[in-house]
Amino acid sequence: MHNNTSMDNQSLDPRVKRLKLNSSGEPVTVQEGENWNVFEVFHQEKRGAHHEHVGCVHAPSAQLALVFAKEQFGRRKKCVNLWVVRSADILSFDTEDEDMFANNLEKTYRDASGFKVMEKINKFKKSAHDKE
Amino acid sequence: MTRNDAISQLLTAMADDSLIQGHRNSEWTGLGPIMEEDIAFSSMAQDKIGHAWALYRTLHENLGGTDPDRFAFLRGEKEYKCCHFVEMPNGEYDFSLMRHFLFDHAEAIRWEQLQQSSFEPLVPLARKLKGEIKYHTLHANAWITQLCRAGEESYARMQSALNTCFPLALGIFEPNPEAEQLLTAEKVYAGEAALRAQWMDRIYNILAVAGLNLPDENEVTPVYGGRKGYHTEYLQPLLDEMGYVFRLDPEAVW
Amino acid sequence: MYGGGYIFDEPNKRQLNEEQLHDDPEKLGEFEARIARGEKIEPGDWMPSEYRRQLIRLIEQHAHSEIIGALPEGTWITRAPGFKRKLALIAKVQDEIGHGQLLYNAAETLGKSREAMINDLLSGKSKYSNVFNYPAETWADVTVIGFLIDAAAIVNQVANAKGSYGPYCRALERICYEESFHLKQGHDAFIELATGTPAQRAMVQDALNRWWQPIMHFFGPPDKNSVHSEKLMQWKVKMASNDDMRNQFLDAYVPKIWDLGLSLPDENLKKDPATGKWAYSDPDWDLFKKVINGGGPCNKERLDVRKWAEEHGRWVRKALMNPTEKTTAPVA
Repeated sequence: MHNNTSMDNQSLDPRVKRLKLNSSGEPVTVQEGENWNVFEVFHQEKRGAHHEHVGCVHAPSAQLALVFAKEQFGRRKKCVNLWVVRSADILSFDTEDEDMFANNLEKTYRDASGFKVMEKINKFKKSAHDKE
Repeated sequence: MTRNDAISQLLTAMADDSLIQGHRNSEWTGLGPIMEEDIAFSSMAQDKIGHAWALYRTLHENLGGTDPDRFAFLRGEKEYKCCHFVEMPNGEYDFSLMRHFLFDHAEAIRWEQLQQSSFEPLVPLARKLKGEIKYHTLHANAWITQLCRAGEESYARMQSALNTCFPLALGIFEPNPEAEQLLTAEKVYAGEAALRAQWMDRIYNILAVAGLNLPDENEVTPVYGGRKGYHTEYLQPLLDEMGYVFRLDPEAVW
Repeated sequence: MYGGGYIFDEPNKRQLNEEQLHDDPEKLGEFEARIARGEKIEPGDWMPSEYRRQLIRLIEQHAHSEIIGALPEGTWITRAPGFKRKLALIAKVQDEIGHGQLLYNAAETLGKSREAMINDLLSGKSKYSNVFNYPAETWADVTVIGFLIDAAAIVNQVANAKGSYGPYCRALERICYEESFHLKQGHDAFIELATGTPAQRAMVQDALNRWWQPIMHFFGPPDKNSVHSEKLMQWKVKMASNDDMRNQFLDAYVPKIWDLGLSLPDENLKKDPATGKWAYSDPDWDLFKKVINGGGPCNKERLDVRKWAEEHGRWVRKALMNPTEKTTAPVA
């Protein structure tokens, strides 16, 4: 952003007017990998809470990923800490393997709702009462 | 000169530095080298402008200063007390990063000092800004060290930016003997020379890790004048721009 | 801020049929049933190639609109009057870049790299919203953009957030939250001028007059002219018709403008109380096409500025590049 006094562009933005824009129409290209690698970002809203996945940043190192994540994912809402991890290091199931989880809700023996103790207690109390 | 006059001089210089540095850094918003860094650098520009605002409010509320918006946006050039360092155009990203590194460490040390100031309104403010400034120096340190280890071109760019910036950065600590004597005696702060010595130690340690050579402070001429109201050719156009809308009708509310 | 009026790639009927021939009918059935049940599609899921292609195009145009959209408003960053306006404007432009970041990530999950998308923007191969090809001439323009264009964007984005692709919906959820701040601060700055001095009111009226046509263009061509694909609606890629969104916008915001005693440059603009539909003069749709294809007042400048930013940031990015590391797409 040199203080260029030559009138090489007519922008209404004084910041842009100071730039020496290349208006030749020559192609400008970005090389693959130039935007670095991808890191997943996990946000902790308050002490004691889980870190939750909120998105990702492109960064050349974990250190800068954390520095970037702080502003891209921690600049508005409450935040006390962040994690970053290379996306390549995340292991997950294939989405077509979703059926492995399909019967979870049927296995009521794993769930409090599968055990109806109150029914038995009430039945017992009622029969005891009836005997009296 | 009274104690309050001396404090006003100190705070005006600090606020003007922050405002102009924040204004310059905000020129990168939307034009940064990569989106993630664009966002981070913009946040820090906003923080700087916010620090200036808080200081102008302190001047207004505690030291009889005028309305912060008018004071910040409508003064004549001579009445600004910022150093030349912050007035310089952004140049390329190497210059902007190096300025950010040198300026923010100086700011960090100054605000650390002010946590113990006898001028009470500064103490809670110093505590409040601590976390923001910590992020700024963390960001600057990460960039400087990584770019210096990333190959010849970026190393050379950073060394050259350091050589350009260093004499200008010493201008942050331009002496103001009469006011400083009063302020140190009154324990408002430790004075510019003490801050400068601390700053030299701190930046030296980080620059050493990055492998950069800090120029010998005895062999460069610090760029002074800003604190006395003498400025570079770059300040007046910046002020014209900053106050442009305001001046369309200074009585209107914008 | 999102530029509406996406130019959907009208699927050439023959091409679509051919591609669908290659799509496994059983998988296609499952995919369509999932969407019909209101479930989201996630990156690893099987999806028809046409769905992938249209979504990349849609999300990419949206992302480009954010980073190009930062430029007209950025025009006033160094001149914003007073601390509150200055900070709010910098924060808003910063949010636009943040939205671009989120959206490019969402598009990347579909298999196109961020670099490839940026290259297609710079070469002119992919488009962005035409509204950003107009100049922000005065401070009042910033308030009109912040108030009305963000309002229009919200109408569009709220609709899209109910779409079928998980990563895009999640990005939009965050974006809509931030847009509500943009709308509020834009409205506040707009009201300040509209209730201010005669000169301020004249300034905001002039900005409204200049921006009205681009705003009417914003939601894209009228439904009668767009052969919009039922498939895209069925797949929940396109969520609402252009005319419906335009009507929703007019209904919510025209009364707010008239309430302030400001006018809009269209004598035919009025609501039919019986149908709830707004009547208006057709904006110049030939001009719309011309601007989309590069003939607007700022198209060249916008791309030249993006090229400047990419060229001057290149040494920073290249210095920290690691050519031996294989880059990956975001996971979700």
